Amino acid sequence: MSAEMANEIKLISGRSHPELSENIAKRLGINVARTISLNYSNQETSFTVGESVRDEDVFIIQSTATGDVNEGLMELLIMICACRTASARRITAVIPNFPYARQDKKDKSRAPISARLVANMLQTAGANHIVTVDLHASQIQGFFSVPVDNLYAEPSFLRHIRENFRPEECVIVSPDAGGAKRATSIADHLNTAFALIHKERPRPNVVGRMVLVGSVVDKVAILVDDMADTCGTLVKAAAVLKENGAKSVLALVTHGILSGNAIETLNGSVLEALIVTNTVPLGDKVERCPKLRVIDISPTIAEAIRRTHNGESVSYLFTHAPV
Amino acid sequence: MVRNIVVLGGNSHPQLVESICGVLGIPACNRILGKFSSGESRCEIQDSVRGKEVYIIQTGFGGNGAKLNDHFMDLCIMISACKTGSARRVTAVLPLFPYSRQPDLPYKKSGAPLFKTGSDNGKKDYTFDSVPATPAPGVPRSVGLTNATDLAGRLAHARSANGAQSPIGNGPTNGENYFSSNGVNGGGANGAPVPNGANGVNGTSNGHRHSSSVSSTKQASFTKHDYENLSTVNAFQAKPGYKQWVAQAGTLVANLLTCAGADHVITMDLHDPQVQGFFDVPVDNLYGRPLLKRYILQNIPNFKDAVIISPDAGGAKRATAIADGMGMDFALIHKVILSRRAPCDMNSRLEQERRPTKITERQNASMMLVGDVSGRVCILIDDIVDTGNTITRAAKLLKKEGASRIYALVTHGVFSGEALSRIAASALDRVVVTNSVPQQEHKAALGSKLEVLDIAPIFGEAIRRVHHGESISVLFNYD
Repeated sequence: MSAEMANEIKLISGRSHPELSENIAKRLGINVARTISLNYSNQETSFTVGESVRDEDVFIIQSTATGDVNEGLMELLIMICACRTASARRITAVIPNFPYARQDKKDKSRAPISARLVANMLQTAGANHIVTVDLHASQIQGFFSVPVDNLYAEPSFLRHIRENFRPEECVIVSPDAGGAKRATSIADHLNTAFALIHKERPRPNVVGRMVLVGSVVDKVAILVDDMADTCGTLVKAAAVLKENGAKSVLALVTHGILSGNAIETLNGSVLEALIVTNTVPLGDKVERCPKLRVIDISPTIAEAIRRTHNGESVSYLFTHAPV
Repeated sequence: MVRNIVVLGGNSHPQLVESICGVLGIPACNRILGKFSSGESRCEIQDSVRGKEVYIIQTGFGGNGAKLNDHFMDLCIMISACKTGSARRVTAVLPLFPYSRQPDLPYKKSGAPLFKTGSDNGKKDYTFDSVPATPAPGVPRSVGLTNATDLAGRLAHARSANGAQSPIGNGPTNGENYFSSNGVNGGGANGAPVPNGANGVNGTSNGHRHSSSVSSTKQASFTKHDYENLSTVNAFQAKPGYKQWVAQAGTLVANLLTCAGADHVITMDLHDPQVQGFFDVPVDNLYGRPLLKRYILQNIPNFKDAVIISPDAGGAKRATAIADGMGMDFALIHKVILSRRAPCDMNSRLEQERRPTKITERQNASMMLVGDVSGRVCILIDDIVDTGNTITRAAKLLKKEGASRIYALVTHGVFSGEALSRIAASALDRVVVTNSVPQQEHKAALGSKLEVLDIAPIFGEAIRRVHHGESISVLFNYD
C-alpha cells in the first residue's frame, strides 16, 4: 500500500488507547497518521494534524480511558471536526467502548439520556460512520442516523473458551437478567448449560441480594457480561456460584472498565480469573491483578476497518474472530 | 423574585451561581452533579423543570476537582436533561466561553514553521542550511515567548538542585531523551512518531514512559503549556511537505451546545465576536467594559491623565472603545516577530540561546510601544489573562518606558499554568479581573495585587431581562 494513493485508510489515534491503535495499524500494515493531541495550560484540548486527510477514508480510534471519559470524548469530537474541515471523504469513529452507554434511557424524571447526547454530538462533529464493540444496549444504534457497526467480542470469547476449557464441564452464567441474551448466545454456540443470577440493585454501583436460577454444581461457572466496572456484581455473583457448588468461577467481560476499587475487590474475591478484551486501556491493572487476563480485540476491529474501507460485508465478523 | 424560572448551576463556579440567584431572588435548582467511578458524568435534576425557562450557569474554566472538558460535558448533559425533562427553553450561561480562543498556533501568520519538519536527526547539529531564518526547535518561536523561556530558565536554575542548564539549552537534548525512552512505542516498525507518545510527557492519563529527566524539566519549566514543552513538541513532526495545522474547536463547541438543545446562549466578552455567528440560536454577548470603566472612574485617581494601553494589536479595538468613551489617551504595544529583523546568522542565534538574559533585552527592544507613557499611569486592557505572558511582558516594557504605575484591567482572569507567579513577579501594580471564573485561589495567591469585580449583577439582570422579554441592549452601554 503506497501512502500517496488517494482514498487510503487514514488511521488517527486519540490519546486514550495508543496501544490498541498501534495493534490495529500493525494488522492493517499501515502507520498511524501523524497527529498530536495536547492540552493547553487552560486545559483546552488542541489537536494538530500533521498530514493530509483530504479525500481519505479516515478512521479515528478513541476508546474511553477510565476516569477520563469526558476528556477522551471531547478529544474525539475535536478530531472528527478537524478531519471534516480538512475535507476527509469519510470519517469513521472507532469507539471500542462507547461512552455513556449505560445512560441510555430516561429511567427516572429528568434523567439525561446521555448516550443519545453522545450520539448526536458525534454526528454534529461530523462522524459519517461509527464502529464500536458490544454496545451495552444495541438499541443505542437507533440514536444515530448514520450507520453503526456494533462488533461482538463473542467470537473471541468462544475461541478462548474452546481453547482453554472443556465446554461440557462449563456452565455459562449471566450475572443479571439484562445480560441473559448475551450469555444464552454463548451457551448455545458451545452447547453448554446455562444459569442466571437475579439481582436487586438499589443504587448505581451498589449491588443488592442475589438469587441463582439453574444448577452449577461441580461445573466451571463462566460469568458473561458486557462490562466490569466496580466488579461488585461479578464478585458477589462469583460468591453465590461458589456457595451453590461451582467447582471454579471465572468471568468473561468485554469492557474492563475496572474503576474505583475494582482491582482490590477482584484480588480478594473467589473469582478465579477475569478475562477482558482490550477495548479499554488497562494500564498497570494487569500487573496489579494476577487474575486479570486480556484478549486482544484489535484483529476484529482491524478487519472491520479493512472491510468497511473496501465496501465488504462485516457480518462475517459477528460469528468469526480473525486470527 | 422572578417566576417560572429555574437557575441550574454547574460545578465550575458555585459562588457565581449563588450570587446570580441572590440577584434574582430565587434558590438554585437542586441537582446531583458528579461523576460515576468510571469517569462518566452523573446528572440528576431534582426539581421540576416542566414548562419552565431554565438557565444553566457553567463557565469555561477547569477547577473544583474537575477538568474543563468535564465541565463542558456536564453542561451539555444538563441541557439535554432539561430538554428531555420538557423545559420550555434552555439558556446556557457561559461567563467565559470555552474554546473561544485557541491561542498558540504552531504556525505564525507569516507561515513560518515553528518546529522543524523533515528528518528526525540533526536536532543538535544545526547547519546554516538546515535552519530557516525563522524560529526552530530550541529557538523561541517569537519574540514574545522569549521572555517566558527566559524566566523558565531562571526558574529552572532556582529550582533544580542539580543545577541543570536552562531549558533553552536543554531543549533538543530533552527531545532525544524523550525519543529514546519512548522507543518501545514510537520506534520500531513504522518509525513514525506516535502521536500519543506525547501523552507521557503531558502526564494526563496513561503511559508514563518518559524518563525522569523530561518530567523534571517539565516541572521546572515556567509554564505547563504543552506547546511550551519542547520535548513534547519535538516528538511530533508533520509529514514532509505538509504544513501542520491546529484544529479550531470554536465552531464545534457552538454546534455541540446547539445539538445538546440550548435555545439561547449568554456569554461575556467573547474573544472573537465572530463566535456569535457560529450559532444558529441567539447569543447575547455581554460586555465587561462598563464594569472596567466604572473601576477606572472610581479607583484610579486623575484617570484623565492615564493612558489606556492595548497589549497587542488584536485588542486595540477593545481598548480604544474604553479610551474613547472616557476621553483618555491611548497607546498600543506592537509585537515585532523575531524573523522580521535582519536575518541573523546562526552563530549569533546559538549564542543567544546560551545566554538567555541577552535575549530578554533584545526581545524588549523588539516590542514596540506606539505612544508616550513616561511619567504616566498606564491601564492595560485585555479580554483574557491566560498564561499571563502578554500582560507581564507589556508591563515590563511600559515600566522601561517610564510608566509611573501600571494597572491591568482584564475581563477573564484564567491564570493558567504559572501565570500567578509570573504576575506576582511582574511590574504590574494591580490586576483587576471579573469573577467570570472562580477567583478565590487566585486572590489568595496574589493578595492585594488582584482585585475582583462582581459580574453577578450583570448576568442576573441579563437573565431577568431575557426572561421577561425585555431588551438587554441597555446592559451594553450603561455607565
